[in-house]
Amino acid sequence: MTPANTVILIEDEPQIRRFVKEALETEGWKVFEAENGKRGLVEAGSRKPDLLVVDLGLPDMDGVEVVRDFRTWSTVPILILSARTEERDKILALDAGADDYLTKPFGIGELLARVRAVTRRRLQGLETSPKQCFADVEVDLSRHSVMRNGVPVHLTPTEYRLLGSLLANSGKIMSHRRLMQEVWGPNHTESSHYLRIYMSHLRQKLEIDPAQPIHLLTETGVGYRFEP
Amino acid sequence: MQDKSKKITLKHSYLTAILVCAVTALAATPLRHFLDLANIVMLFLLVVFLIALKLGRGPAVMSAFLAVALFDFFFVPPRLSFAVNDVQYLVTFTVMLAVGLATAHLAATLHMQAEDALERERNTHRLYELARDLAGTATQEQVAQVLVLYMSGSAHSATLHLLDVDGELPSLGHQVALASLAYMAIKQGSLIDTSQLSVVGGHTLILPLKSPSEVRGVMVVETNASSIKASNNIDKKQFEAVANLTAIAIERLHYVEVAQQTQLEASAERLRSSVLSALSHDLRTPLTGLVGMADVLALAAEPQLENVYNAATSIRDQARAMNNLLDNLLDMARLHAGKVELRKDWQLFEDVIGSSIKLLKSALSQHPVKVVLAPDLPLVEFDDVLLERVLCNLLENAAKYSAVGAPIEVRGFVEGEFACVAVSDHGQGLPVDQIESLFTMFSRGKSESSTIGVGLGLAICRAIVEAHGGKIKASNCEGGGACVTFWLPLGNPPCVDSEQ
Repeated sequence: MTPANTVILIEDEPQIRRFVKEALETEGWKVFEAENGKRGLVEAGSRKPDLLVVDLGLPDMDGVEVVRDFRTWSTVPILILSARTEERDKILALDAGADDYLTKPFGIGELLARVRAVTRRRLQGLETSPKQCFADVEVDLSRHSVMRNGVPVHLTPTEYRLLGSLLANSGKIMSHRRLMQEVWGPNHTESSHYLRIYMSHLRQKLEIDPAQPIHLLTETGVGYRFEP
Repeated sequence: MQDKSKKITLKHSYLTAILVCAVTALAATPLRHFLDLANIVMLFLLVVFLIALKLGRGPAVMSAFLAVALFDFFFVPPRLSFAVNDVQYLVTFTVMLAVGLATAHLAATLHMQAEDALERERNTHRLYELARDLAGTATQEQVAQVLVLYMSGSAHSATLHLLDVDGELPSLGHQVALASLAYMAIKQGSLIDTSQLSVVGGHTLILPLKSPSEVRGVMVVETNASSIKASNNIDKKQFEAVANLTAIAIERLHYVEVAQQTQLEASAERLRSSVLSALSHDLRTPLTGLVGMADVLALAAEPQLENVYNAATSIRDQARAMNNLLDNLLDMARLHAGKVELRKDWQLFEDVIGSSIKLLKSALSQHPVKVVLAPDLPLVEFDDVLLERVLCNLLENAAKYSAVGAPIEVRGFVEGEFACVAVSDHGQGLPVDQIESLFTMFSRGKSESSTIGVGLGLAICRAIVEAHGGKIKASNCEGGGACVTFWLPLGNPPCVDSEQ
């Protein structure tokens, strides 16, 4: 990764800042730290970062506000750090434009995996290949075909749209609301049980053990994620 | 005493009437040479009219007769005798008497109506004063005092008896007959007059205190035994109005109390949740640092420094375990406060089971997990974050209390009106005599066992499942090992149209 990609780390706890900085630096990131939301937004404005890491519980302003503010002028990926008890805030942050979140406490491995997932498209250019493979499944978006072990799998139009939406945001978390919006349209964001049923159908057709999925993952209380 | 003075004034008015009639006769005597007898009749009629107006019906009737007699005696020839020369005068007497009586009746009725109106005006004014005084009260004692003040000028006395939270009238506990009448009045929503009940007798009115939302008690009005007279409708209406005003005042006091209570509870709740979230934040932040820095240390360890790597990963795992304990403690504190807001949604067990297994990946790494879900499992309404907590606790227990390599099974099925999930292991099973107490706080199968945990896990599971209207039970499997099952009510899941 040359020249070094920059990341703004907005976190008020120096201990957490320290190890997140160290971990990111081992991956070649240039890290700028900010201990509050206002300072973070100023840094973000001047440094032209490739990634924003934001803690939800900041001393001066709500992390969701930081995300909302930043999203008005930038499309750079945002990774949220939050505590387990803040499900509602997580959803708010995702709906405000955040790309993913990490629940405290988290390990270095999880942190780097998330960072890679949210920055993959931006840093490696859009993958234009219409073919995507995971496990024994091969999806060809250009031909609307899904094969499993070389055998065609029949998907209903809704299932196909759902799969397409998840694949297009591979590795990133998709809130229930956002998935409903993409698959059923903006007027169907309330009855999420449809989403759960169709997700279950997809798992039945594409996962080896639908009850212990490896690729079509549930993010409890928040949404779903496709993990390649 | 009042009646006595009334009698005296009545006697006086009769005497006055006689006197006035006599004076009129005397005054008219010298005029008889100048005036026609017809005009003298007019004078007498005028006097009867004035007496009726001023002194009432009785004196007026009496003076009407007296006027005829005096006229006959002093003016109609032959004078100073009741004999009559001309029979025509009999017509005069009849007309004079009839006009006099009619005048007396009309004037007296007018007089009574005016007095009635005055009385009513006084009552309205007193009611207005009562309403004003009741509006200023802040306690039920003050309401009672205002009522006593209102009744003080009359022959009645009123007492209030309010229903308590159980719908009882504690202040009437010792008066069984009165209490049963009071309950009847509350049930009927209308007043009861004991003078109309031959069984009880006495003279007591029992009025329900009807406020806009409910009946809050009764007002008992007792009338002094010395001054009992049939209480008329006006009195009853008056007391009903008093009861209504009192009921409204009591209702207002009730809602003031409710509002204060709610405010108190809300501020206590705010305090509790802010303490919990501060605690959560302050304890989790160092744990996050610990996990992260142990990871940094583990990654940085040279390959030959295996003990450094092991120590670092061990620090990380212990910190994570501590975080789980913290989660459990905080959850229990929230659940125990009884103010958990369930964010229920119609969803599938499959989602939470899958995510729980994934969350516990490292704890379950030594145990193959087998998930068997019945194909007819419907959508179930639950809070997924809390249910994930239940499943994580059950799976963690299963892993903790069974040997390395022993499989864990998760089964989902429908049983009657419930959707069930059972988590079973192949460990040593549960001590039979302690199965029930496992679900109480800080209870563990073996006290001081070397396995970490404080015995909160199952208590939390029970609190969460019960908050969903379900139940949870532990048992030992036939082939050995423990099995914990929970049941959630099926309800009416929304239908989903399938597409081809």
